[in-house]
Amino acid sequence: MSKFSFSSAVATLQELRKTGERKSDLVVSLGEIIIESVWSVYEQIFIAALDLKNDKLAKICLDNLEKRFANSPRVKILEGMKLEAEGKLDDASTIYKNILEADESNVAQGFLALDRAAGKRVIATFKAKGQISEAIEALSKYLDVYCNDTEAWLELSALYLEQHLYQQARFCLEEVILLQPQNHLSHLKYAEILYTSDNIPLALREYCRVVELCDDYLRALYGIKLCTEHLLSLENTSSSSSKSQVSTSLYDAKILSELKLLATERILNTYSRKSRDTATDKSNEFKKYIVEWLQAA
Amino acid sequence: MVQPIANTLVESQALYLDPAIRDWVLIPIMIVMVLVGVLRDQVTILLGANTFKKPGLKAIRETKALQRGTVLRLYGNNIPPPSFHARKIYLSSAFERGTFLKNPAAANQPVNPMTDPQGMEMMMEGMKKNMAMIIPQTIIMAWVNFFFSGFVLIKLPFPLTLRFKSMLQRGVETPDMDVTWVSSLSWYFLNLFGLRSIFTLLLGEDNAADGMRDMQSMAAMGGAAPGQPQDFHKLFLAERENLELTPHEWELEDVEYRLLVKYGKRTEGEYQLYKKSLIEDVVAASENATSLQENKLKTRRKGGGKRD
Repeated sequence: MSKFSFSSAVATLQELRKTGERKSDLVVSLGEIIIESVWSVYEQIFIAALDLKNDKLAKICLDNLEKRFANSPRVKILEGMKLEAEGKLDDASTIYKNILEADESNVAQGFLALDRAAGKRVIATFKAKGQISEAIEALSKYLDVYCNDTEAWLELSALYLEQHLYQQARFCLEEVILLQPQNHLSHLKYAEILYTSDNIPLALREYCRVVELCDDYLRALYGIKLCTEHLLSLENTSSSSSKSQVSTSLYDAKILSELKLLATERILNTYSRKSRDTATDKSNEFKKYIVEWLQAA
Repeated sequence: MVQPIANTLVESQALYLDPAIRDWVLIPIMIVMVLVGVLRDQVTILLGANTFKKPGLKAIRETKALQRGTVLRLYGNNIPPPSFHARKIYLSSAFERGTFLKNPAAANQPVNPMTDPQGMEMMMEGMKKNMAMIIPQTIIMAWVNFFFSGFVLIKLPFPLTLRFKSMLQRGVETPDMDVTWVSSLSWYFLNLFGLRSIFTLLLGEDNAADGMRDMQSMAAMGGAAPGQPQDFHKLFLAERENLELTPHEWELEDVEYRLLVKYGKRTEGEYQLYKKSLIEDVVAASENATSLQENKLKTRRKGGGKRD
């Protein structure tokens, strides 16, 4: 059976039911394949049901899975997720820890979707309990081994940001950029962290990179605008106080002001393109003020 | 009257083979070999059923650390210079000291599979498989040799040169017999090497019945033994060297200018001029960096000297 499609198999079975034909050989050969794949479907439905807080459906799926796979760690993790969903975080984390004791590399397994492995669930329970520092510790331990897990780095940086540890969050995002150098969103996040931690020149470059990678990315354009304004105002104040610093500064003012003009122009251009047809009187008036403000700044 | 030589040869060697030889020797040898091959495949599946072992956490860490070095080398240009250099220094020193190794204390010893329980297991697996290959083959060969030594089984339908004599008439030491006659032991070898496609037909691709496979693994034994664990320390040292040699050309050095060019505010020519001026700066900076590194090397050497 080289080409097997579920929709056609299900349709065939339905057809047979309608006509009352038996054709047992065909039914068995199709049914075997459908029943084999039913378990992963159960798992999928179970997780979706947890997300929607549909406890009844989740329970049906989990009961079926437990009947079929009595001692599987994969099902145990699902059980833990159910406990998590019910708010019994401690029970859930003991389940995960038992799994990890039996098999230390159940931190992330290839065949599992990564967020379902026991190691990551432990971190998730820490986070749900609000024990951010424990979560950070566990995640760092995880990343010490699986240092090419981009999403884990992003998560760690988010946790650090929650604790206002910008230096550490910056490090995490550098790792993300190393792993996905062409992803403009990681550059944007990095630029925002830099801007927040007052590293404006570097932030400006990262914002420029974002726009280079993704045309007319508004958030980054506005970032460029803010950065250039900041740098230009610095230039003005420092030039009045001491002249020597100006010559050593990273940018010459000409490029900065050009960038600023460019950013403003692109922002206005993008917005005028987007809202041409849906503009009402009121929003037009509002827009006029914003345009004035943007150009004045 | 001169007869053609070939004719005389054919006539003089017109042996008549007993059909019983065909029925009781030629075909049985082949059937036995096929059956043994199938059996062997099953045995290997039995033995190898539980051989897949998940690598331990530390083993995963080793390989991932190596990847980390590669990633830094390839994409390091995307992060600012200080970040790059911090990572470079950290990774290269960690590689040198063997921090990422499964057993950091054993960094400088050659890998000995006996000391590593996992390596030991791997060796045992290899042994088991080899045993499953070698034992039946030895038995069959002994069987053929014992019962049918000196038998001539078939005549090939095409002429061959004299060089094939040792291949086709093993066990029959007659200098005058035509090369096209095949002895029993040679028939065994022909089967051993020639049944591969039949096994593929019977058992599918990638079966373990094939006799050639253990020949290959034997040949490989001479070089790097199969199943020998890799010496990660050596790999780390090589990666460290690569890292040290990697220059850092920051991708974002002139990104704001590139952006202006992209939106048509500046021309390509102006950009090239700007780049030139930047390169001069970079050269000056790298000179500084190299002098710094030399200083570091000097101090390191001094430190090493003291330790000796």
